[in-house]
Amino acid sequence: MPEEDPAELIYLNNAATSWPKPPEVTAAIIASLARPVFGSGRTAGTQGEDYITLAREALVRFFHAGPEEHWVFTHNATDALNILIPGFLAAVEGEGPCHVITTALDHNSVLRPLHERERAGQISLTVVPFENAKVSPDAVRAAIRPVTRLVVMSHGSNVLGSVQDIRAIGELLHEQDIYFIVDGAQTAGHIPIDLGTLPVDAFVFTGHKALCGVPGTGGFYIRDPKRVVPVRFGGTGTDSFSLCQPDEMPDTFEYGTHNYPGAAALAAGIGFLEATGIDAITEKGERQTAYIIAELRQEPNIILYNETPELPIVAFNIEGMANDDVGFVLARAYRVISRTGLHCAPLVHEALTGGKGCVRISLSWFTTDEECRIAAKAIREVAQGAHSSLGQA
Amino acid sequence: MRILRSVRHKSCADGTRMKEFLLSDPVTEDFFLFLKNFGSVKCVATVGDGFYTFQKEDCFSIKGLVGDTTVEVRFKPEVADITVDFLYALFHFYRDGNPDIETLKRREAGVEQRVRERLYGT
Repeated sequence: MPEEDPAELIYLNNAATSWPKPPEVTAAIIASLARPVFGSGRTAGTQGEDYITLAREALVRFFHAGPEEHWVFTHNATDALNILIPGFLAAVEGEGPCHVITTALDHNSVLRPLHERERAGQISLTVVPFENAKVSPDAVRAAIRPVTRLVVMSHGSNVLGSVQDIRAIGELLHEQDIYFIVDGAQTAGHIPIDLGTLPVDAFVFTGHKALCGVPGTGGFYIRDPKRVVPVRFGGTGTDSFSLCQPDEMPDTFEYGTHNYPGAAALAAGIGFLEATGIDAITEKGERQTAYIIAELRQEPNIILYNETPELPIVAFNIEGMANDDVGFVLARAYRVISRTGLHCAPLVHEALTGGKGCVRISLSWFTTDEECRIAAKAIREVAQGAHSSLGQA
Repeated sequence: MRILRSVRHKSCADGTRMKEFLLSDPVTEDFFLFLKNFGSVKCVATVGDGFYTFQKEDCFSIKGLVGDTTVEVRFKPEVADITVDFLYALFHFYRDGNPDIETLKRREAGVEQRVRERLYGT
Protein backbone atom coordinates (compact mmCIF):
# COMPACT_ATOMS: atom_id res chain seq x y z
CA MET A 1 0.00 0.00 0.00
CA PRO A 2 1.34 3.49 -0.70
CA GLU A 3 1.85 5.40 2.51
CA GLU A 4 -0.61 8.24 3.08
CA ASP A 5 1.06 11.38 4.33
CA PRO A 6 -0.62 11.88 7.71
CA ALA A 7 -0.15 15.61 7.39
CA GLU A 8 -2.53 15.56 4.43
CA LEU A 9 -5.28 13.73 6.29
CA ILE A 10 -8.11 15.41 8.07
CA TYR A 11 -8.71 12.82 10.73
CA LEU A 12 -12.26 13.05 12.07
CA ASN A 13 -12.65 9.60 13.61
CA ASN A 14 -11.59 10.53 17.09
CA ALA A 15 -14.63 8.93 18.73
CA ALA A 16 -13.11 5.62 17.65
CA THR A 17 -9.44 6.32 18.37
CA SER A 18 -8.00 9.76 18.82
CA TRP A 19 -5.19 10.94 16.57
CA PRO A 20 -2.75 12.60 16.65
CA LYS A 21 -1.46 12.03 20.15
CA PRO A 22 0.22 14.79 22.13
CA PRO A 23 4.01 14.67 21.73
CA GLU A 24 4.24 14.06 25.47
CA VAL A 25 2.42 10.75 24.99
CA THR A 26 4.78 9.51 22.32
CA ALA A 27 7.76 10.58 24.43
CA ALA A 28 6.36 8.78 27.48
CA ILE A 29 5.96 5.52 25.57
CA ILE A 30 9.53 5.70 24.31
CA ALA A 31 10.82 6.54 27.78
CA SER A 32 8.84 3.66 29.31
CA LEU A 33 10.57 1.22 26.98
CA ALA A 34 14.03 2.60 27.62
CA ARG A 35 14.32 0.99 31.05
CA PRO A 36 13.23 -2.27 32.63
CA VAL A 37 9.80 -2.43 34.19
CA PHE A 38 9.68 -0.95 37.65
CA GLY A 39 6.69 -1.64 39.81
CA SER A 40 5.55 -3.12 43.05
CA GLY A 41 5.97 -6.87 42.95
CA ARG A 42 7.57 -6.79 39.53
CA THR A 43 10.70 -4.87 40.23
CA ALA A 44 13.46 -5.29 37.71
CA GLY A 45 15.33 -2.18 38.61
CA THR A 46 15.36 0.60 41.15
CA GLN A 47 15.69 3.71 39.11
CA GLY A 48 12.69 3.72 36.82
CA GLU A 49 9.27 5.26 36.87
CA ASP A 50 6.39 3.20 38.22
CA TYR A 51 4.10 3.98 35.30
CA ILE A 52 1.18 2.03 36.70
CA THR A 53 1.16 4.13 39.84
CA LEU A 54 1.68 7.30 37.82
CA ALA A 55 -1.37 6.47 35.73
CA ARG A 56 -3.50 5.70 38.79
CA GLU A 57 -2.46 8.99 40.36
CA ALA A 58 -3.39 10.82 37.18
CA LEU A 59 -6.83 9.19 37.12
CA VAL A 60 -7.47 10.13 40.75
CA ARG A 61 -6.56 13.75 40.03
CA PHE A 62 -8.46 14.02 36.76
CA PHE A 63 -11.70 12.42 37.91
CA HIS A 64 -11.52 13.62 41.51
CA ALA A 65 -12.02 10.16 42.95
CA GLY A 66 -9.77 7.94 45.02
CA PRO A 67 -8.24 5.97 46.46
CA GLU A 68 -5.77 5.06 43.75
CA GLU A 69 -6.27 1.34 44.20
CA HIS A 70 -9.94 1.67 43.26
CA TRP A 71 -8.83 2.43 39.71
CA VAL A 72 -8.46 -0.86 37.87
CA PHE A 73 -6.65 -1.29 34.58
CA THR A 74 -8.05 -3.45 31.80
CA HIS A 75 -7.39 -3.80 28.11
CA ASN A 76 -10.08 -1.27 27.13
CA ALA A 77 -13.62 -0.19 28.04
CA THR A 78 -15.23 -3.31 26.60
CA ASP A 79 -12.93 -5.43 28.71
CA ALA A 80 -13.83 -3.41 31.79
CA LEU A 81 -17.55 -3.93 31.14
CA ASN A 82 -16.92 -7.63 30.67
CA ILE A 83 -15.43 -7.72 34.15
CA LEU A 84 -17.94 -5.48 35.89
CA ILE A 85 -21.19 -6.84 34.45
CA PRO A 86 -20.58 -10.57 35.06
CA GLY A 87 -18.79 -9.73 38.31
CA PHE A 88 -21.82 -7.90 39.67
CA LEU A 89 -24.23 -10.56 38.43
CA ALA A 90 -22.10 -13.28 40.04
CA ALA A 91 -22.15 -11.32 43.30
CA VAL A 92 -25.97 -11.24 43.40
CA GLU A 93 -26.48 -14.76 42.05
CA GLY A 94 -28.74 -16.76 44.32
CA GLU A 95 -30.54 -13.68 45.59
CA GLY A 96 -33.57 -14.20 43.35
CA PRO A 97 -34.58 -12.83 39.95
CA CYS A 98 -32.32 -10.19 38.49
CA HIS A 99 -33.64 -7.46 36.24
CA VAL A 100 -31.17 -5.21 34.43
CA ILE A 101 -31.77 -1.94 32.62
CA THR A 102 -29.76 -0.46 29.79
CA THR A 103 -30.53 2.03 27.05
CA ALA A 104 -30.99 2.12 23.31
CA LEU A 105 -28.10 4.58 23.11
CA ASP A 106 -25.63 2.02 24.30
CA HIS A 107 -22.74 0.43 22.49
CA ASN A 108 -22.39 -3.29 21.85
CA SER A 109 -19.80 -3.33 24.64
CA VAL A 110 -22.79 -3.02 26.97
CA LEU A 111 -25.56 -4.55 24.88
CA ARG A 112 -23.84 -7.80 23.98
CA PRO A 113 -22.70 -8.83 27.47
CA LEU A 114 -26.22 -8.14 28.74
CA HIS A 115 -27.96 -9.79 25.81
CA GLU A 116 -25.88 -12.94 26.21
CA ARG A 117 -26.87 -13.18 29.87
CA GLU A 118 -30.49 -12.62 28.99
CA ARG A 119 -30.26 -15.44 26.42
CA ALA A 120 -28.73 -17.66 29.08
CA GLY A 121 -31.70 -16.95 31.35
CA GLN A 122 -29.49 -15.28 33.95
CA ILE A 123 -31.25 -11.91 33.80
CA SER A 124 -34.30 -10.16 32.41
CA LEU A 125 -33.41 -7.06 30.44
CA THR A 126 -35.14 -3.78 29.68
CA VAL A 127 -33.76 -1.42 27.05
CA VAL A 128 -34.93 2.14 27.72
CA PRO A 129 -35.54 4.14 24.54
CA PHE A 130 -34.19 7.61 23.92
CA GLU A 131 -35.92 10.74 22.81
CA ASN A 132 -34.17 13.74 21.23
CA ALA A 133 -30.85 11.92 21.69
CA LYS A 134 -31.38 11.59 25.47
CA VAL A 135 -32.53 8.98 27.92
CA SER A 136 -34.64 10.75 30.51
CA PRO A 137 -34.38 9.93 34.19
CA ASP A 138 -38.17 9.48 34.16
CA ALA A 139 -37.86 6.80 31.48
CA VAL A 140 -35.31 4.96 33.59
CA ARG A 141 -37.53 5.31 36.66
CA ALA A 142 -40.47 3.88 34.71
CA ALA A 143 -38.41 0.82 33.77
CA ILE A 144 -37.50 -0.06 37.35
CA ARG A 145 -39.10 -3.16 38.83
CA PRO A 146 -38.90 -4.56 42.33
CA VAL A 147 -36.24 -7.01 41.13
CA THR A 148 -34.12 -4.45 39.26
CA ARG A 149 -30.58 -4.84 40.52
CA LEU A 150 -28.41 -3.18 37.91
CA VAL A 151 -28.38 -0.32 35.41
CA VAL A 152 -25.62 -0.12 32.82
CA MET A 153 -25.62 2.86 30.48
CA SER A 154 -23.37 5.05 28.41
CA HIS A 155 -22.57 8.52 29.63
CA GLY A 156 -22.11 9.88 26.13
CA SER A 157 -23.58 8.49 22.92
CA ASN A 158 -20.90 7.50 20.43
CA VAL A 159 -23.32 8.23 17.58
CA LEU A 160 -25.30 11.25 18.67
CA GLY A 161 -22.81 12.99 20.95
CA SER A 162 -25.44 13.50 23.62
CA VAL A 163 -24.51 13.32 27.31
CA GLN A 164 -26.88 11.62 29.71
CA ASP A 165 -27.86 13.06 33.07
CA ILE A 166 -26.11 10.40 35.12
CA ARG A 167 -26.36 12.49 38.26
CA ALA A 168 -30.18 12.50 38.23
CA ILE A 169 -30.33 8.87 37.12
CA GLY A 170 -27.80 7.78 39.72
CA GLU A 171 -29.67 9.53 42.50
CA LEU A 172 -32.94 7.81 41.69
CA LEU A 173 -31.19 4.44 41.39
CA HIS A 174 -29.44 4.79 44.71
CA GLU A 175 -32.76 5.57 46.39
CA GLN A 176 -33.62 1.98 45.52
CA ASP A 177 -30.19 0.40 46.02
CA ILE A 178 -29.76 -0.34 42.32
CA TYR A 179 -26.16 -0.74 41.20
CA PHE A 180 -25.11 1.79 38.57
CA ILE A 181 -22.34 1.17 36.01
CA VAL A 182 -21.60 4.07 33.67
CA ASP A 183 -19.70 3.63 30.42
CA GLY A 184 -17.65 6.79 30.08
CA ALA A 185 -15.74 5.76 26.96
CA GLN A 186 -16.97 8.78 25.00
CA THR A 187 -17.01 11.42 27.72
CA ALA A 188 -13.75 10.84 29.61
CA GLY A 189 -11.38 13.55 28.43
CA HIS A 190 -14.02 15.60 26.61
CA ILE A 191 -16.02 17.08 29.48
CA PRO A 192 -15.43 17.66 33.21
CA ILE A 193 -16.36 14.57 35.23
CA ASP A 194 -16.30 14.65 39.01
CA LEU A 195 -16.61 11.10 40.26
CA GLY A 196 -16.16 12.40 43.76
CA THR A 197 -19.71 13.70 43.72
CA LEU A 198 -21.44 11.74 40.94
CA PRO A 199 -23.67 8.94 42.26
CA VAL A 200 -22.19 6.14 40.18
CA ASP A 201 -20.93 2.81 41.51
CA ALA A 202 -18.53 2.03 38.72
CA PHE A 203 -17.24 4.23 35.91
CA VAL A 204 -15.63 2.73 32.82
CA PHE A 205 -13.05 4.55 30.72
CA THR A 206 -10.84 3.84 27.77
CA GLY A 207 -7.39 5.26 27.19
CA HIS A 208 -7.28 5.56 23.42
CA LYS A 209 -9.98 8.13 22.81
CA ALA A 210 -10.15 11.59 24.42
CA LEU A 211 -7.74 10.69 27.23
CA CYS A 212 -5.08 10.79 24.48
CA GLY A 213 -3.60 7.39 25.35
CA VAL A 214 -3.13 4.38 23.12
CA PRO A 215 -5.25 1.35 22.21
CA GLY A 216 -5.01 -1.49 24.70
CA THR A 217 -5.57 0.71 27.72
CA GLY A 218 -8.68 1.30 29.78
CA GLY A 219 -10.24 0.34 33.02
CA PHE A 220 -12.77 1.31 35.62
CA TYR A 221 -13.24 3.11 38.88
CA ILE A 222 -15.16 1.16 41.47
CA ARG A 223 -16.51 2.81 44.58
CA ASP A 224 -17.13 -0.31 46.67
CA PRO A 225 -15.14 -3.27 45.37
CA LYS A 226 -17.06 -5.70 47.54
CA ARG A 227 -20.15 -5.31 45.33
CA VAL A 228 -18.42 -7.04 42.40
CA VAL A 229 -16.60 -10.35 42.49
CA PRO A 230 -13.61 -11.13 40.29
CA VAL A 231 -14.42 -13.24 37.25
CA ARG A 232 -10.90 -13.50 35.90
CA PHE A 233 -7.98 -14.90 37.76
CA GLY A 234 -4.24 -15.08 37.47
CA GLY A 235 -0.89 -13.90 38.64
CA THR A 236 -0.73 -10.55 40.36
CA GLY A 237 2.82 -10.55 41.67
CA THR A 238 1.36 -10.44 45.19
CA ASP A 239 0.31 -13.06 47.75
CA SER A 240 1.69 -15.60 45.32
CA PHE A 241 1.65 -18.60 47.63
CA SER A 242 -2.16 -18.46 47.70
CA LEU A 243 -4.05 -20.22 44.91
CA CYS A 244 -6.95 -17.81 45.41
CA GLN A 245 -7.26 -14.43 43.74
CA PRO A 246 -6.19 -11.77 46.27
CA ASP A 247 -8.90 -9.72 47.97
CA GLU A 248 -6.82 -6.57 47.90
CA MET A 249 -7.48 -3.84 45.42
CA PRO A 250 -6.67 -3.53 42.62
CA ASP A 251 -5.13 -7.02 42.46
CA THR A 252 -8.49 -8.70 42.83
CA PHE A 253 -9.45 -7.40 39.36
CA GLU A 254 -6.04 -7.14 37.74
CA TYR A 255 -4.16 -10.17 36.50
CA GLY A 256 -1.11 -10.72 34.37
CA THR A 257 1.49 -8.20 33.33
CA HIS A 258 0.32 -4.62 33.02
CA ASN A 259 0.54 -2.69 29.79
CA TYR A 260 3.14 -0.35 31.21
CA PRO A 261 3.89 1.57 27.97
CA GLY A 262 0.12 2.04 27.75
CA ALA A 263 0.00 3.26 31.35
CA ALA A 264 2.84 5.67 30.62
CA ALA A 265 0.88 6.98 27.65
CA LEU A 266 -2.28 7.32 29.72
CA ALA A 267 -0.51 9.24 32.47
CA ALA A 268 1.05 11.55 29.89
CA GLY A 269 -2.26 11.96 28.06
CA ILE A 270 -4.07 12.95 31.22
CA GLY A 271 -1.20 15.26 32.09
CA PHE A 272 -1.66 16.92 28.70
CA LEU A 273 -5.39 17.37 29.32
CA GLU A 274 -4.74 18.86 32.73
CA ALA A 275 -2.22 21.30 31.32
CA THR A 276 -4.58 22.25 28.50
CA GLY A 277 -7.63 22.54 30.72
CA ILE A 278 -10.77 20.44 30.36
CA ASP A 279 -12.97 23.54 30.11
CA ALA A 280 -10.94 24.81 27.17
CA ILE A 281 -11.19 21.39 25.52
CA THR A 282 -14.95 21.27 26.00
CA GLU A 283 -15.45 24.81 24.71
CA LYS A 284 -13.37 24.25 21.59
CA GLY A 285 -15.22 21.06 20.75
CA GLU A 286 -18.59 22.72 21.18
CA ARG A 287 -17.61 25.69 19.02
CA GLN A 288 -16.19 23.61 16.18
CA THR A 289 -19.07 21.14 16.25
CA ALA A 290 -21.61 23.97 16.13
CA TYR A 291 -19.79 25.43 13.12
CA ILE A 292 -19.88 22.15 11.20
CA ILE A 293 -23.54 21.60 12.00
CA ALA A 294 -24.41 25.13 10.90
CA GLU A 295 -22.64 24.46 7.60
CA LEU A 296 -24.29 21.10 6.99
CA ARG A 297 -27.72 22.49 7.79
CA GLN A 298 -27.48 24.60 4.67
CA GLU A 299 -27.77 21.54 2.45
CA PRO A 300 -31.36 20.36 2.19
CA ASN A 301 -30.37 16.76 1.49
CA ILE A 302 -28.17 16.37 4.56
CA ILE A 303 -29.96 14.67 7.43
CA LEU A 304 -28.48 15.59 10.82
CA TYR A 305 -29.36 13.23 13.65
CA ASN A 306 -28.55 15.54 16.55
CA GLU A 307 -28.14 19.26 15.98
CA THR A 308 -27.14 19.99 19.58
CA PRO A 309 -24.53 17.42 20.60
CA GLU A 310 -22.60 18.02 23.80
CA LEU A 311 -19.65 16.00 22.52
CA PRO A 312 -17.76 16.85 19.31
CA ILE A 313 -19.63 14.30 17.24
CA VAL A 314 -21.75 14.95 14.14
CA ALA A 315 -23.89 12.15 12.74
CA PHE A 316 -25.46 12.60 9.34
CA ASN A 317 -26.57 11.05 6.09
CA ILE A 318 -26.83 12.41 2.60
CA GLU A 319 -30.05 11.61 0.83
CA GLY A 320 -29.38 9.69 -2.33
CA MET A 321 -26.07 8.19 -1.23
CA ALA A 322 -25.25 5.22 0.97
CA ASN A 323 -23.34 6.23 4.08
CA ASP A 324 -20.48 3.94 3.12
CA ASP A 325 -20.20 5.69 -0.23
CA VAL A 326 -20.11 9.09 1.45
CA GLY A 327 -17.35 7.92 3.75
CA PHE A 328 -15.43 6.45 0.85
CA VAL A 329 -15.66 9.64 -1.19
CA LEU A 330 -14.69 11.83 1.76
CA ALA A 331 -11.64 9.67 2.40
CA ARG A 332 -10.48 9.12 -1.15
CA ALA A 333 -11.38 12.42 -2.80
CA TYR A 334 -10.97 14.82 0.13
CA ARG A 335 -8.79 12.88 2.61
CA VAL A 336 -11.38 13.44 5.30
CA ILE A 337 -11.49 10.39 7.53
CA SER A 338 -14.92 9.67 8.97
CA ARG A 339 -16.59 6.53 10.29
CA THR A 340 -19.58 5.02 8.56
CA GLY A 341 -22.01 2.25 9.37
CA LEU A 342 -23.60 1.33 12.66
CA HIS A 343 -20.80 2.41 15.00
CA CYS A 344 -21.43 -0.73 17.07
CA ALA A 345 -24.60 0.93 18.36
CA PRO A 346 -27.32 -1.06 16.59
CA LEU A 347 -30.29 0.19 18.60
CA VAL A 348 -29.50 3.84 17.91
CA HIS A 349 -29.49 3.08 14.23
CA GLU A 350 -32.55 0.90 14.42
CA ALA A 351 -34.37 3.94 15.76
CA LEU A 352 -32.83 6.64 13.58
CA THR A 353 -31.67 5.16 10.29
CA GLY A 354 -33.72 2.01 9.91
CA GLY A 355 -30.56 0.03 10.57
CA LYS A 356 -28.73 1.48 7.58
CA GLY A 357 -26.21 3.48 9.55
CA CYS A 358 -24.83 6.92 8.97
CA VAL A 359 -21.65 8.92 8.61
CA ARG A 360 -20.03 10.11 11.81
CA ILE A 361 -17.35 12.73 12.12
CA SER A 362 -15.76 13.30 15.50
CA LEU A 363 -13.24 15.91 16.52
CA SER A 364 -10.42 16.12 19.01
CA TRP A 365 -8.47 18.90 20.67
CA PHE A 366 -6.05 18.71 17.77
CA THR A 367 -8.69 19.33 15.10
CA THR A 368 -8.11 22.78 13.67
CA ASP A 369 -10.70 25.33 12.58
CA GLU A 370 -9.29 25.09 9.07
CA GLU A 371 -9.82 21.33 9.06
CA CYS A 372 -13.42 21.87 10.15
CA ARG A 373 -13.90 24.35 7.33
CA ILE A 374 -12.43 22.00 4.72
CA ALA A 375 -14.40 19.02 6.02
CA ALA A 376 -17.70 20.90 6.07
CA LYS A 377 -17.05 22.19 2.56
CA ALA A 378 -16.24 18.67 1.37
CA ILE A 379 -19.41 17.21 2.87
CA ARG A 380 -21.47 19.99 1.33
CA GLU A 381 -19.89 19.39 -2.08
CA VAL A 382 -20.63 15.68 -1.89
CA ALA A 383 -24.20 16.45 -0.88
CA GLN A 384 -24.63 18.88 -3.75
CA GLY A 385 -23.25 16.28 -6.15
CA ALA A 386 -25.52 13.57 -4.81
CA HIS A 387 -28.48 15.89 -5.13
CA SER A 388 -27.82 16.86 -8.70
CA SER A 389 -26.10 14.05 -10.49
CA LEU A 390 -26.53 10.66 -8.91
CA GLY A 391 -27.64 8.38 -11.63
CA GLN A 392 -27.02 5.44 -13.82
CA ALA A 393 -23.73 5.61 -15.63
CA MET B 1 -4.79 -3.07 -14.63
CA ARG B 2 -3.77 -5.72 -12.11
CA ILE B 3 -4.62 -6.21 -8.47
CA LEU B 4 -1.34 -5.69 -6.65
CA ARG B 5 -2.63 -6.34 -3.18
CA SER B 6 -5.89 -6.87 -1.34
CA VAL B 7 -6.41 -5.94 2.27
CA ARG B 8 -9.34 -7.19 4.26
CA HIS B 9 -11.18 -4.75 6.47
CA LYS B 10 -14.07 -5.41 8.74
CA SER B 11 -17.45 -3.90 8.06
CA CYS B 12 -19.90 -3.70 10.91
CA ALA B 13 -22.75 -2.06 9.00
CA ASP B 14 -24.37 -4.76 6.95
CA GLY B 15 -22.26 -7.83 7.52
CA THR B 16 -20.59 -7.65 4.14
CA ARG B 17 -16.91 -8.45 3.92
CA MET B 18 -14.98 -5.49 2.65
CA LYS B 19 -11.66 -5.59 0.87
CA GLU B 20 -9.56 -2.81 -0.49
CA PHE B 21 -7.73 -3.56 -3.74
CA LEU B 22 -4.58 -1.72 -4.67
CA LEU B 23 -4.37 -1.63 -8.45
CA SER B 24 -1.38 -1.36 -10.74
CA ASP B 25 -2.94 1.55 -12.64
CA PRO B 26 -5.51 4.23 -11.89
CA VAL B 27 -9.07 3.07 -12.35
CA THR B 28 -10.81 4.53 -15.37
CA GLU B 29 -14.33 5.45 -16.36
CA ASP B 30 -13.98 2.86 -19.10
CA PHE B 31 -13.50 0.14 -16.50
CA PHE B 32 -16.79 0.97 -14.84
CA LEU B 33 -18.54 1.15 -18.19
CA PHE B 34 -17.13 -2.33 -18.88
CA LEU B 35 -18.59 -3.49 -15.55
CA LYS B 36 -22.05 -2.43 -16.75
CA ASN B 37 -22.05 -5.69 -18.70
CA PHE B 38 -22.36 -7.56 -15.43
CA GLY B 39 -24.48 -5.39 -13.14
CA SER B 40 -25.62 -1.87 -12.40
CA VAL B 41 -23.31 1.12 -12.28
CA LYS B 42 -24.05 4.47 -10.68
CA CYS B 43 -21.99 7.61 -10.86
CA VAL B 44 -21.64 10.85 -8.96
CA ALA B 45 -19.90 12.81 -11.68
CA THR B 46 -19.24 15.92 -9.61
CA VAL B 47 -16.92 14.22 -7.12
CA GLY B 48 -13.35 14.39 -8.37
CA ASP B 49 -13.23 12.85 -11.83
CA GLY B 50 -16.26 10.73 -10.99
CA PHE B 51 -17.26 8.40 -8.20
CA TYR B 52 -18.59 5.08 -9.41
CA THR B 53 -20.33 2.21 -7.70
CA PHE B 54 -20.89 -1.14 -9.35
CA GLN B 55 -23.42 -3.54 -7.88
CA LYS B 56 -23.70 -7.17 -8.84
CA GLU B 57 -26.83 -8.21 -7.08
CA ASP B 58 -26.41 -11.00 -4.52
CA CYS B 59 -22.66 -11.15 -5.19
CA PHE B 60 -20.50 -8.12 -4.61
CA SER B 61 -20.04 -4.41 -5.18
CA ILE B 62 -17.10 -2.30 -6.29
CA LYS B 63 -16.68 1.38 -5.66
CA GLY B 64 -13.97 3.74 -6.69
CA LEU B 65 -12.95 7.15 -7.89
CA VAL B 66 -11.69 7.60 -11.43
CA GLY B 67 -7.95 8.22 -11.28
CA ASP B 68 -7.49 6.46 -7.97
CA THR B 69 -5.41 3.31 -7.64
CA THR B 70 -7.61 1.86 -4.92
CA VAL B 71 -11.10 0.40 -5.12
CA GLU B 72 -13.26 -0.97 -2.34
CA VAL B 73 -15.01 -4.29 -2.81
CA ARG B 74 -17.77 -5.74 -0.63
CA PHE B 75 -18.71 -9.39 -0.81
CA LYS B 76 -21.98 -10.92 0.25
CA PRO B 77 -20.50 -13.33 2.77
CA GLU B 78 -22.92 -16.20 2.19
CA VAL B 79 -21.66 -16.66 -1.37
CA ALA B 80 -18.21 -15.09 -1.24
CA ASP B 81 -16.56 -18.45 -1.85
CA ILE B 82 -18.51 -18.77 -5.09
CA THR B 83 -18.15 -15.22 -6.37
CA VAL B 84 -14.60 -14.26 -5.51
CA ASP B 85 -13.02 -15.91 -8.54
CA PHE B 86 -15.40 -14.10 -10.85
CA LEU B 87 -14.57 -10.80 -9.23
CA TYR B 88 -10.87 -11.37 -9.80
CA ALA B 89 -11.66 -12.40 -13.35
CA LEU B 90 -13.31 -9.05 -14.01
CA PHE B 91 -10.06 -7.28 -13.21
CA HIS B 92 -7.92 -9.89 -14.93
CA PHE B 93 -9.88 -9.93 -18.17
CA TYR B 94 -10.22 -6.17 -18.33
CA ARG B 95 -6.47 -5.69 -18.10
CA ASP B 96 -5.69 -3.35 -21.00
CA GLY B 97 -9.23 -2.32 -21.76
CA ASN B 98 -9.90 -4.99 -24.37
CA PRO B 99 -11.71 -7.65 -22.36
CA ASP B 100 -13.10 -10.95 -23.57
CA ILE B 101 -16.69 -10.29 -22.57
CA GLU B 102 -18.05 -13.49 -24.09
CA THR B 103 -15.89 -15.65 -21.86
CA LEU B 104 -16.77 -13.57 -18.84
CA LYS B 105 -20.47 -13.86 -19.62
CA ARG B 106 -20.20 -17.64 -19.66
CA ARG B 107 -18.46 -17.60 -16.32
CA GLU B 108 -21.02 -15.16 -14.97
CA ALA B 109 -23.88 -17.49 -15.89
CA GLY B 110 -22.25 -20.33 -13.97
CA VAL B 111 -21.60 -18.19 -10.93
CA GLU B 112 -25.12 -16.78 -10.93
CA GLN B 113 -26.59 -20.27 -11.08
CA ARG B 114 -24.56 -21.42 -8.09
CA VAL B 115 -25.43 -18.26 -6.15
CA ARG B 116 -29.14 -18.77 -6.81
CA GLU B 117 -28.91 -22.37 -5.65
CA ARG B 118 -27.09 -21.33 -2.48
CA LEU B 119 -29.29 -18.37 -1.61
CA TYR B 120 -32.71 -19.40 -2.91
CA GLY B 121 -32.49 -23.11 -3.60
CA THR B 122 -33.47 -22.60 -7.25
